[in-house]
Amino acid sequence: MTHNFDKLPEIFARHPQDPSSLIMVLQDIQREYRYLPCEALLQTAQVLDVKLSKVFSVATFYNAFSLNPKGEKVVRICVGTACHIRGSALIKEQIEHHLGIKAGQTTEDMKFSIEVVACVGACAMAPVVIVNDKYHGGVSVGNATRLVKD
Amino acid sequence: MKIVSPKQLEQLAAEYKKTADRHKKMVIVCCGTGCLANGAQKIVDAFAECLSRRKVKDFTVEAVKKTGCHGFCEQGPLVVIEPQGTFYTKVKPKDIETIIEKSIENDEVIEKFLFTNPKDGRKIEKYPDVPFFSHQHRIALRNLGKIAPFDIREYIAVDGYKALAKVLTTMTPDQVIDEITKSELRGRGGGGFSAGKKWRTCRNVPSDVHYVICNGDEGDPGAFMDRSIMEGDPHSVLEGMMICAFAVGAKQGYIYVRDEYPLAVIHLQKAIADCEEHGLLGDKILGADFSFSIRIARGAGAFVCGESSALMRSVAGEVGEPRAKYIHSVIKGLYDQPTVLNNVETFVNVPVIINHGADWFRKIGVPKNSGTKVFSLVGKVRNTGLIEVAMGTTMREIIYDIGGGIIDGRPFKGVQTGGPSGGCLPESKLDLPVDFDSLTEAGSMMGSGGMIVMDDKTCMVDVARYFLQFLVSESCGKCVPCREGLYQLHKLTIKICEGNGTEVDIEKMEKLSQQIVVGSLCGLGKSGPNPLLSTIKYYRDEYLAHIRDKKCPAGVCRNLITYRVIPELCTGCLACITACAYHAITGQKKEPHVINQDLCEKCGACVAVCKHDAIEVS
Amino acid sequence: MVTVTINGKLVRAKEGEMLLAVLRREKIDIPALCHHEAVEPYGACRLCMVEITRKEWDGWKNMVTSCLYPVADGLIIQTHTTDLIELRKTILDLYLARCPNTPEIQDLAAQYGVMQTSYEQVADPNDCILCGLCTRICDRMGFSAISAVNRGHGREIAPPLKNAPPDCVGCLACALNCPTNYIKYTDIGHTREIWGRKFELLRDAKTGQLTITKEFAEYLSKHRVIPQDYFDLNDESHRKETALSLGKIAIWSREVPQ
Repeated sequence: MTHNFDKLPEIFARHPQDPSSLIMVLQDIQREYRYLPCEALLQTAQVLDVKLSKVFSVATFYNAFSLNPKGEKVVRICVGTACHIRGSALIKEQIEHHLGIKAGQTTEDMKFSIEVVACVGACAMAPVVIVNDKYHGGVSVGNATRLVKD
Repeated sequence: MKIVSPKQLEQLAAEYKKTADRHKKMVIVCCGTGCLANGAQKIVDAFAECLSRRKVKDFTVEAVKKTGCHGFCEQGPLVVIEPQGTFYTKVKPKDIETIIEKSIENDEVIEKFLFTNPKDGRKIEKYPDVPFFSHQHRIALRNLGKIAPFDIREYIAVDGYKALAKVLTTMTPDQVIDEITKSELRGRGGGGFSAGKKWRTCRNVPSDVHYVICNGDEGDPGAFMDRSIMEGDPHSVLEGMMICAFAVGAKQGYIYVRDEYPLAVIHLQKAIADCEEHGLLGDKILGADFSFSIRIARGAGAFVCGESSALMRSVAGEVGEPRAKYIHSVIKGLYDQPTVLNNVETFVNVPVIINHGADWFRKIGVPKNSGTKVFSLVGKVRNTGLIEVAMGTTMREIIYDIGGGIIDGRPFKGVQTGGPSGGCLPESKLDLPVDFDSLTEAGSMMGSGGMIVMDDKTCMVDVARYFLQFLVSESCGKCVPCREGLYQLHKLTIKICEGNGTEVDIEKMEKLSQQIVVGSLCGLGKSGPNPLLSTIKYYRDEYLAHIRDKKCPAGVCRNLITYRVIPELCTGCLACITACAYHAITGQKKEPHVINQDLCEKCGACVAVCKHDAIEVS
Repeated sequence: MVTVTINGKLVRAKEGEMLLAVLRREKIDIPALCHHEAVEPYGACRLCMVEITRKEWDGWKNMVTSCLYPVADGLIIQTHTTDLIELRKTILDLYLARCPNTPEIQDLAAQYGVMQTSYEQVADPNDCILCGLCTRICDRMGFSAISAVNRGHGREIAPPLKNAPPDCVGCLACALNCPTNYIKYTDIGHTREIWGRKFELLRDAKTGQLTITKEFAEYLSKHRVIPQDYFDLNDESHRKETALSLGKIAIWSREVPQ
C-alpha cells in the first residue's frame, strides 16, 4: 500500500518531541492512516528518539493500534460484560458469519473490518455496535447484519 | 480574561448565576453518550430548526441546553423542562414541534412522554419524583444533567472553583490533607484506600517534583461512571485535582483517559483550555503562590493500564507493564517521583468536602465508608443507567427500588460487582449493605462501581469463562502465574462449558486459583480468579450440572443446549428459515418447520425473529 | 549493616541490598529464572518468592519476590515453607505447559517433583521461557535491538517488525545469556547471522582469528573509549577480563565476577 507520508511532520509537530509522546503520536498516525504503516514507525522512532524495538513493542501492546490496514467501515462490537449478558457473543458470530471474516480481520475488498472492544461505556444501551464513529444500541441477533450491508 | 483573585471569582459567580437564571423557561436535552447514540443531537437540531421558524414568547434557542448524562439511559432521549421539572422520556425529533407548542408556549404536560412507574402504572410528571432519581443522593453527579459541560461560566455559577479559592486563601496544605483525612474519603476506583493518607504520604516525600494523576481509564467492562463525569462535569475533576496539587506540592498533573472515550477527551481539553484562559491553571492561580498545569494522557486500549504502576508507564509513553510495588508509587511513581493517583470520582468529591466540611461528608454513608458511590446499574435490570447512593444502601434497594427489578419479571440470579476483579453475589446476599468492607467480606469487591444484574437465563459458568477470557486477553504477559495460570483456568472453563469437564477440574481450578492469587505480580492477576472462585462458591450446583448432567440450566452453553421448533405453536411463517444464516431450518409455508441439529449453530437468530414463541431452547 | 533472620539463622547484610543477593551469599538454593546480576531485577518468573514477616506484624506474613525486596533490619525470612514449595511447583508446572521439551525447565521442574505438566500444552512449543533477559541485557548494552512484542499469552521476543533488527550489532550478549539457549546464531566463514541479520566478522591482524563484528567494533570505538589494541586481542577470556576491568561493558556470560 502506498501512502502519502507528508502528513507525518505535521503529526509530530503536535506533540513534544520526546519519548513520552509515543502513544499519542501513534494514535494520531493510526487515526490518519487507519493503521500504523512501517514507514511511519521508522520515522516516529527517529523523531521521538525512541529505539525502533520500543516503538514496535508499544505498537503491538495496545489494542488501539493495528499493523494491518483497516477496511473502509470498521465494525466495533462491544463485548463488555453488560453487552455480553445481553447477547453480544451471538451478535459477533452473526456479523462474522455474514462478512466471512473473524474479529481482527478485514474483508478482501477492504470494505469492512471487525474488531471487538472491551467496553465503550454505553452499557445502558447494550448490546452496542459501533460502525466507524456511529453508535448503535440495542442491537439484536435479528437486526445485526443490517449494520453491515453495503 | 484572567481571574486574578477570589473576590473577582465571587463577583463572576454572582454575575453568571444571574445570567443562568435569566430564562423564564429552559429546555435541557441530555447529551450523554447513551442519549447521543439514540439521537439527542437530532433533538437539539430539531429545536433549533423549529425555533427558527416559530417565534415563541420569552423563549429562544439559547434556552435549549445540552448537558451531560442524567443517568437514566434506558429512557433516553431525555428532555427536561425547567423550572417545572417536567420530565419527558424517549423523545423523538418529530415530537419537538408538539413539545414547543404545548409545554413551552403553554404550560401543558404531554402525558405520552411521561415516565410510567412499572410498580403502579402511574405516570410521573416531575423528574425528582421518579423513583430512579428520588432514591439517589447525588454528590459526585451533582452537576450532571444540570450544566452545560463545555461552558466554564455555568460551572462557576454553581459555586465552581469556590473550594479552590477557599483552600488558597484560608488553608495550608496540611490543613487540606487533615480535612480530607477526617472525611474518611476512600478511593473510588476500587482500592478503597484512604485518600487523605495517600496525599499525606506523597507530601512527606522530600522532592522538588510531585505529580497528581487522575485515573480515567475505567477499564471495567460495564462501568461508565467516570465517562459520564468526565463528559458531563469536567471542571469538577479539574478542581479536585487542583486542590490535591496544592495539598501535596505538585506543579504538574495528568488525566489519563481511556482511548475508548473520545468525547471525554474533547470535553476535558475544552475545560483545561478555558481554565488556562481564565488563569485557573498556570502560574499564580487566583493570585496565590500556586502554579499548576494539567495535561491529558490518552490510553490506547489496555485494561492493565488501570493499575497504577502500569498507568504511569503508559503516561511516560511505554508499554503498560506493572512493577512490583514494594516501594509504592506514592513514593516513587511517575518518572520515579512521588505521585498521587486517584480515580475521577474520588477527585470530584474533594471540592464538596472542602465546601461543606468533613463532618458533613462523614454523616453520609456508614462508619468507615463515608459518602456516596456512583454505580452503573446494567444488565437484566429494567432501569439501566447511572445512579449514586449513600454507602450502606442495600443491594435490594438498588436493584428493585431504583432499578425497577428484573426485566420481564424474571427471577434474579446474581449481581456482579467489581468487574473482572470482583465476584458474583447471589440472592441470599441481596440485603447486603453496599460498601467497601461488606462486599469484600462476601467474596466480591466494590471495584469502580459496575453492577451487572443477571437473571436465570445467565449461565454462571459462562460468566466465569467470559471474565477469564477478558483477563487473558488483557494480561500484560510479564509474570508466569497470570500469563500462564489464567490462560489454563480459561481453558478449563471452556472444557466445562463444552460438556467435557470433570469434578476433578473444579478442584484443579480452585488450587491453581490460590496460587495465582499468591504469586501474581499485580492486581490483575491477583484478583483475576475472583469471578471464578465466587461463582464456584455460590453456584456450585450449576458447575456440577454442566459436568455430571451435561446440561446448561440457563440455556446458554452451546454444546449443551438444543433449539427445537414446537410444532403445535409453529405457524409456518418462514421467518426463522429466512433468518437462519446456516440453512439449518427447513419447512414449507404454513407447515411446522424443523431445525436440523447437525447444522444448527445455536446462534439464536430464529428465536429473535419468531413472533409465536414457537422455538424452545433446552 | 543490618541483621535479618533467614530460616531461623541470624545473618548480616548491607542496608538496601536485595534479599536474593543475601540468600545467594548464604548458599540458599532458590531458583530465579529471570534474574541476572548484569541487569535490574524483573520479578517475572516469581520463583524466587520467599515468605517475610516482622515481630511487629503479629503473625501476619507476606510473600515477596526476593530479587526485588530490599533487606531491612529485623526482617524474618523463610525460603522453603510448604506454601512456597507448592507455589514453585505450580509455576514450574505452568512453565512445562509452555516449554515441555526444554531441558533446563525439565530439570528444574524435576527437582520439585514435577515430571510433566498437568495442564494443557501449547501447540508448537519452543524453548523461550519469556524471562526477558535477552531484551534487558540488550538494553543495558545500549542497543535495544530486540524487545518483547504482543501482550499476554501471545507475548514473544522479536526484532522490530519481525525483520532484521537495524540496531543489532551482533554482539551475542543475548544469545550467550539465554538460560535455555533458545536464541540461535551462526558463525560461518566471515559471516555471523543472528535475528535474521548478517554481520561481517573482523579478523585479528596478528593471528588471523575472527573476533567480533564490524558493527560492534565501530560502536565500541565510538561510544566506549576502548583502546585500539583491544581489537587485536584474540584470546576470549583475556578480552573479557579487559572489558570487565574497563568497567564499561556488561558481563557477557552467566559467570559472576569474583
